[in-house]
Amino acid sequence: MTSTSPASIVTFPRGHEFVPASFTIDAGRIAAYLDAIGDHGAYGDAVPPLAAVALALEALQSEISLPEGSLHTGQEVEHLAALAAGEPLTMSGRVAQRSERQGYVISVLELEVASAAGIAVRARATIMAPAAAS
Amino acid sequence: MTIEVAPVTRHITQPRINAYAAASGDHNPIHVDPAFAAGTPFGGTIAHGMLVLALIGEMMHAAHGDAWNTTGKIKVRFKAPTPAGSTVTASATLSKQADGVAEYAVQCATEREVVIEGRATVQVAE
Repeated sequence: MTSTSPASIVTFPRGHEFVPASFTIDAGRIAAYLDAIGDHGAYGDAVPPLAAVALALEALQSEISLPEGSLHTGQEVEHLAALAAGEPLTMSGRVAQRSERQGYVISVLELEVASAAGIAVRARATIMAPAAAS
Repeated sequence: MTIEVAPVTRHITQPRINAYAAASGDHNPIHVDPAFAAGTPFGGTIAHGMLVLALIGEMMHAAHGDAWNTTGKIKVRFKAPTPAGSTVTASATLSKQADGVAEYAVQCATEREVVIEGRATVQVAE
């Protein structure tokens, strides 16, 4: 993790690689996540894949800020392997696409969450942010 | 084997949104600050897109269990905001099943409109 202030998402060019972040998702965080969404399913000690994505996005907040008026317009998630509560994880991410249209910068962020066994979750988030924010 | 997916309905209250903000670390004021949100084009707070999308994850996990956690895929568009206080129903319709993969059209809808739309796939036993 870096100690720099987060920069607006509109300032990152296509191809920009974010600094990989290490994190864990312990049982308490999973319980808080499931309680928040109201899911009472039986996950055992598995991390719900969308929780992994949400917390990977949280890890990105040290680098990216979303200006007022930003919209999350699309999401893709691919589950490749189970993740267990408490295991060390790494999030890597990059700006896969960037375009401008009608006063908005449209950025597609690609994220991968990996455990020691390899990549477990891939995600692509499409974010529209006002270009004037740059 | 065809697996039916049961819909999931949930009331997306402001306390639930606040709890999701705490759990996910996303404290954007459009989600958690009613006074701020009142001055935006939305006219009030809206749920995190990932909170509403989680209903699809819950629904698919309930139907497919661990296979969803290890082989599931989702691709969706967030079509409209989900205002705090909405009741959201996530649903899935099987559109194709071949070669051990089931594909569903999925959506989340409030009382007023479809807010998330897309597709989900998962490996299934044949």
